[in-house]
Amino acid sequence: MSVLSTKLLRELRQSWILLLAIVSIVVVGVMSLVAMRSLYSNLRHAQREYYAQCRMADFWINLKKAPLAELARVDHVPGVIESRPRIQFYATVDLPDVAKPLGGLVLSMPAERRPVINDVVMRHGSYFTPQRDNEVIVNDAFARAHDIKPGDTLYLLLNNRRQQVVVVGTAISSEFVFALGPGAIMPDPDQFGIFYVKHHWAEEVFDMEGAANQVVGRLAAPVRQQSGFVLSELEQMLEPFGALTATALKDQSSNLILSAEIKGLGIWATILPGIFLVVAALVLNVLMSRLVEQQRTVIGTLKAIGYDDRRLFGHYLVFGLIVGLAGGAIGSVFGWFMAGAFTNVYHRFFEFPKLENQVHPAVIALGVTVSVLCALLGSLRGAAAAMRLSPAEAMRSKPPASGQRILLERWQLLWRRLSFAWRMALRNVMRNHLRTAVGVFATSMGISLLMLTFMSVEAMNYLIDFQFHKIARHDFELTFESERSADALLEAQRLPSVDLAEPVLIVPCTFTFGSHHYKGGITGLAADARLTVPRDTAGDALSIPTTGLLMTAKVAELLHAKAGDLVTVRPVRGLRRRVQVPIVQIAESYLGTAVYADIHFLSHLVDEQFAVSGVQLATRGGPDERRQLYRRLKELPALQGAASRQETIDNLNETMLESQNLSIAMLVGFAGVICFSSVLNASMVSLTERLREIATLRTLGYGSWQIGGLLLRENLLVNLTGAVLGLPLGYALYIAMVQAYDMELMRLPVVAPPWVWFTSLLLAVVFALSAHAIVQWRILRLDWLAALQVKE
Amino acid sequence: MNVPDDASAAADRNGALLRLVEVSRSYQMGEVLVRALSDVSLDVYASELLVMVGPSGSGKTTILNVVGGMDRPSSGSVWYGQTDLSQAGDAELTRYRRDTIGFVFQFYNLVPTLTARENVMAASQIVADPLDVDDVLGRVGLAERADHFPSQMSGGEQQRVSIARALVKNPRIMLCDEPTGALDFETGKRVLRLLVDLRTELGKTIIIITHNTAIAQIADRVVHLRSGEVVGVHVNEHPEAPEDIVW
Repeated sequence: MSVLSTKLLRELRQSWILLLAIVSIVVVGVMSLVAMRSLYSNLRHAQREYYAQCRMADFWINLKKAPLAELARVDHVPGVIESRPRIQFYATVDLPDVAKPLGGLVLSMPAERRPVINDVVMRHGSYFTPQRDNEVIVNDAFARAHDIKPGDTLYLLLNNRRQQVVVVGTAISSEFVFALGPGAIMPDPDQFGIFYVKHHWAEEVFDMEGAANQVVGRLAAPVRQQSGFVLSELEQMLEPFGALTATALKDQSSNLILSAEIKGLGIWATILPGIFLVVAALVLNVLMSRLVEQQRTVIGTLKAIGYDDRRLFGHYLVFGLIVGLAGGAIGSVFGWFMAGAFTNVYHRFFEFPKLENQVHPAVIALGVTVSVLCALLGSLRGAAAAMRLSPAEAMRSKPPASGQRILLERWQLLWRRLSFAWRMALRNVMRNHLRTAVGVFATSMGISLLMLTFMSVEAMNYLIDFQFHKIARHDFELTFESERSADALLEAQRLPSVDLAEPVLIVPCTFTFGSHHYKGGITGLAADARLTVPRDTAGDALSIPTTGLLMTAKVAELLHAKAGDLVTVRPVRGLRRRVQVPIVQIAESYLGTAVYADIHFLSHLVDEQFAVSGVQLATRGGPDERRQLYRRLKELPALQGAASRQETIDNLNETMLESQNLSIAMLVGFAGVICFSSVLNASMVSLTERLREIATLRTLGYGSWQIGGLLLRENLLVNLTGAVLGLPLGYALYIAMVQAYDMELMRLPVVAPPWVWFTSLLLAVVFALSAHAIVQWRILRLDWLAALQVKE
Repeated sequence: MNVPDDASAAADRNGALLRLVEVSRSYQMGEVLVRALSDVSLDVYASELLVMVGPSGSGKTTILNVVGGMDRPSSGSVWYGQTDLSQAGDAELTRYRRDTIGFVFQFYNLVPTLTARENVMAASQIVADPLDVDDVLGRVGLAERADHFPSQMSGGEQQRVSIARALVKNPRIMLCDEPTGALDFETGKRVLRLLVDLRTELGKTIIIITHNTAIAQIADRVVHLRSGEVVGVHVNEHPEAPEDIVW
């Protein structure tokens, strides 16, 4: 090994604290890069494999009822490579040991096992057998939630008849990676399940002999991304059979959410590591510049001996290389483990046959490469300085540091009031421009991360509170299979322990304005509704217009429409005639793409006197009253589902809490590393270069703690400046994130209550003080007498 | 331009190994312009022991830097044989320092994280035909201290390591900047004896700069410097032995 290499290794050992500080920043950057890219790859790989395995459909068309012979024509439409008609209905699920009626989606499958579009992957038990017709395959999540096993019996309310079914197996399907019940925003396997039945039995039970009410199909590769034309043609072709909605894969709810999550990972996999690696490069730049300055004489001596510039340049660059390699290697390993932790969290949300944390060599190679490049970049300036130093110049004493006044000294009124300690601190901070700038930048990045984290947490809490306490005030929402008359409302009012029952009419429809279309629905509410109170983002209640529509801004944006415009509304059910309806008001909203109308107005729109598709209930009493209500609900005809607001809130909190805690821990940890390491690095560098100054102060009679106090002042000046800049930066970053994540389903609110600002600032101080504790320890151990002998 | 390393090839028409012709050097030190040398003309002969004396600021170190290829003059020429070092590029000056010059510094300038042997190896590893490291350490009397770090050695021992490092390259010329400046009297004389022996036994050309006029007694020739100018040159007919001088 060359002597220069020996020198390097020993110097690395001596500077282990500084090295650790910088490497930790690199580690965190690479860790986040490898973790997120791995997660991205894990999910994408799992999605691709799963979709291929289950022959995932490219389109879904819901119909009223169409003969199978007619549906066979779908295969002949240009662009369609195959299709499968099936029967699908929502149902109430009656489990013997569950008081509450649960919700379910019943789907037909061929009686004999063969590859089909939207196929299932068996988890337990078997596919259908010839033994009986009323066999059912239950989705695995629901089965796990209720301990349902093959051989168990349960009851489904199908077509107003209570049907006993026998479970033969449990399965999963790529169609329901993220299985949402009607109106839900999170999977809740406790409340909602998917039930696969034999197609011929479904025909019998639902009075659909020789027919189907849904067709799913796959498209040829060239038209897959631009399926609009094909879907329009299919809709037109199936119009006589009451084609209700045509949904492309990109709009299918499970795929939409999964794809959004994958996309989000791709974005974060760039932003987060970028922040850390830039900070690492800057901090390393400061360290290397200081190291070269400190080794001026050594560099000059080596040049005097005859070492050429190239060799010395390489020698100092290797320092950065080692930081990059160490950070890259450790970060990659940690990143893989972190990806594993998040992959486990994803199992709570997404149902895959195989979602594993795989090793992605390309991702690890990227992590190490980026790490090394970053570290080399950070070392470049220092190494170049070593190269530029002429031997003679290196041998000369360094000229004393600039003795000019700083800007603050012009305000003598303030300056005179400052103690010697503060003057020293301010001068040191103001004179070391680069080091101060790097420290401020690093801290601001760390604090902005904290702001981002806390604001995200607050946003989710706010959303849940807003949606489920301010807008939704009901205890239960009953959903019927189809529109019913006012009798359904009266019946609901007579249910046990019901204080108030309000009608709801949801009409799925297509909105058209000019050349813009949107497929959604209108929610009809009573004008004086108290159990659902639409609100704008300011929290103000919105009144339902007696005629016309109250539309959320997102829908208006999609239609390019404004208040006062007439939109064409075409319900997907019923007479399905096009009607021109005015937009009375547009309001900003967080959740969903809601459109509201007066229930009477909406009923007339669909040619009904008064129709309800659901009823919202406010109830009273305790568990006994609740059980009585559930018993009665199970007997209610045509009930599709009975959702409990509190259970939805509990499910949301429980599901989100786990991933939230992990994310918070990770991001606070990351922010801590940035702030802690940059403060530590700057302090240790400062300590090293001011050894003689410190020794002199000790000679004068200053104690170690007093000297520590001098450095602490400098740290706090830099740190707090960074924190103060980081707070609004974090706020702006959050807003940018909200805009990047703008989805139809949800818009994150921008909320930053005092605790967010205060906690971020407090943590900045805590990180700085923690780093300073190490510096103080070094000061206490300093051999200041020897330092007086040290020559530059 | 190639830098010849053969002594005979290096001698110019006047027999000088090195020739400074009207060399001046100024440099910026912070906000101050320092005129370190003014029109210095000087010859250095092979295998002589030349001592340059002068007070602090007289230009001694600057001359050494210019002669040693560490710095270029602002004007004038520095001839090593047929080569004008003042016109040489960085690569050529590096080769010159590597192959021709051995430096000994006042404060030793050892690399603190390397042992004595490793400090000497730092020089031996970059030349094509170095002397044996352990032999050189033995010559300077540090065979048993070879694995010690500078912090574990006295000033005199460190200076001897510095001399060994300069010597291991087998240079033609050894330049010593105040070699006894940081040492006590007795140790300083031992170091001077070492340098004298290198001239006598190995035929090295030794140039010593110092403010200590007593050291001039061991020289073959003495150059007096003041304020960046040569104010006098005299020959010592009978140089003293280092053991006999007193300061």
